Amino acid sequence: MMRKSNFWGLLFVLPFIIGTAVFFVFPVLFSGYISFTDWDMFNPPKFVGLKNWINSFKDPAFWISFRNVLYFAAIFVPLQTIFALVIANMLNQKIKFKGGFRACYFLPNVTPWVAGAIVWKFLYGYDYGLINYILRSLGFEGSYWYDSDKWWVAIGSLALMNVWKGMGQTMVILLSAMQSVPKEIVEAATTEGAGKAAIFRKITVPMISPMVFLTMILSTISAFTAFDVFLTMFDVYSLPDRNNVVNLMVYREAFIYGKMGPASTLAWMLFIIILIITVIQRKFEKKWVHYEN
Amino acid sequence: MKRIFYYIVLTLGAFIMLIPFLWVLSNSLKTVDNVMKIPPQYIPNPITLGNFKIVLNELSFLKYLGNSFFVVVFNLVGTVLSSALVGFGFAKFDFVGKKILFTLMLATLMMPAQVTMIPTYFIWSKAGMLDTFLPLILPAFLGQATGIFLFNQNYRSMPDVLYESALIDGCNPLRILFQIYMPLSKPTMMTLIVLTFIGAWNNTMGPLLYLQSREKYTLTMGLLTLDQSPIAAANVGVKMAGSVITMAPVIIVFLFSQKYFVQGDISSGVKG
Repeated sequence: MMRKSNFWGLLFVLPFIIGTAVFFVFPVLFSGYISFTDWDMFNPPKFVGLKNWINSFKDPAFWISFRNVLYFAAIFVPLQTIFALVIANMLNQKIKFKGGFRACYFLPNVTPWVAGAIVWKFLYGYDYGLINYILRSLGFEGSYWYDSDKWWVAIGSLALMNVWKGMGQTMVILLSAMQSVPKEIVEAATTEGAGKAAIFRKITVPMISPMVFLTMILSTISAFTAFDVFLTMFDVYSLPDRNNVVNLMVYREAFIYGKMGPASTLAWMLFIIILIITVIQRKFEKKWVHYEN
Repeated sequence: MKRIFYYIVLTLGAFIMLIPFLWVLSNSLKTVDNVMKIPPQYIPNPITLGNFKIVLNELSFLKYLGNSFFVVVFNLVGTVLSSALVGFGFAKFDFVGKKILFTLMLATLMMPAQVTMIPTYFIWSKAGMLDTFLPLILPAFLGQATGIFLFNQNYRSMPDVLYESALIDGCNPLRILFQIYMPLSKPTMMTLIVLTFIGAWNNTMGPLLYLQSREKYTLTMGLLTLDQSPIAAANVGVKMAGSVITMAPVIIVFLFSQKYFVQGDISSGVKG
């Protein structure tokens, strides 16, 4: 039951009202405004109309950084989803040490990116890296990874690390969804002779598809807003355009070059792109997500 | 047979997930010469604590550790208090603008931080609070979406009889929250404490934007600058020791509170 009381209700949510007004509503509106200005944060903003938007749109560096984010997401999201599904499905069987396994898979998720990046840079290292050592002892050649001149190798290495970092969370969400699949359906299918693989494909995955879909949307958004992984793995100050992503561009324009106008424009373009992709994903949702009525 | 296959795959997978942790620990305990050995030394021989001594004493990681704890403690207090207040308000009262506020809360989750980053930085600089801990602490006292969600869910599921009877006894709503409802929502509080601890401890962008003088750095900031410094280039073991110190507290918190953490993650993931 809800009590109607403007006084008490508003008093309780007052911290949120202040917080949202100061740290959300004002910044969003202000950032929208400065995307149409030239501003260095010290002198008053100068209105320049659509200049920043047109310049960003014409800037090849923006399209490269956008391509990189797309590529990053295209590797990260499917891989993370597939691994999380497979591991969650195994943990959903009668298995011992379930808690221990879950903790192992979840551990990367709780550790700070900076520390993770330092280790991964070492693992990916050309001369002394463990990965190249293993490859070389298997008879392959070593390769540069995060520091490769090929953008797709560099960004791809970061996407793989991101799978390591993020998989645990997706797995936990999917596992909890799997645990709510009715046991009777699975048992009925088993007595009719369906194998584990068939049950996974024909029952489990369709039943939890709304949750799979949700985790995919969340991972996509997290791929597009990823910042720490790029900040800690790449050197922001000397990052070549070929490896740039939109988020790092925003940071660099604003806090290294002091160009608040173009930086805000880029941030808004990123937001618009995220919105468009979420809308497209929602359209596809109807095609393959199974909802119970 | 099938089960054995599962165990093999699960163990192999878990081992792959743990390799970076084992590798950082192993290398943090190696001497300078042994870090760069080919074939690599898996178990350090001899084991040395020298890297940890350098990082803690000479590179002021002890100071950074203290700063991180300071920031985290205030974040915990602020987030729990404000989220409980706001969550209770949303759960138990009907008031003007409630729908709009709730929608705004969803919107705050959707907006990339980059959009609000510059104006927020501007606010703190105008307020003269750059290079203080305040930008990293004050927002926690103004409610945070995940926490509000958790408490809102929790309080909506608690019986209203509690509220009614306390009201008849002459309690005002604030006391009802603090003395009756909050003590009953300990699991929610624990979940939020763990999530907030990890979030605040791992925060990189906040310290990067707002902290300028070295003695105010948090661990993540200290580690970021260490990674780019010449000292670390000469001795990878030092970087590894710094990483171990930065990771250890969150890992310990996580291992002791897995239950709450996973619960919170599910409900925030599902409802968010």
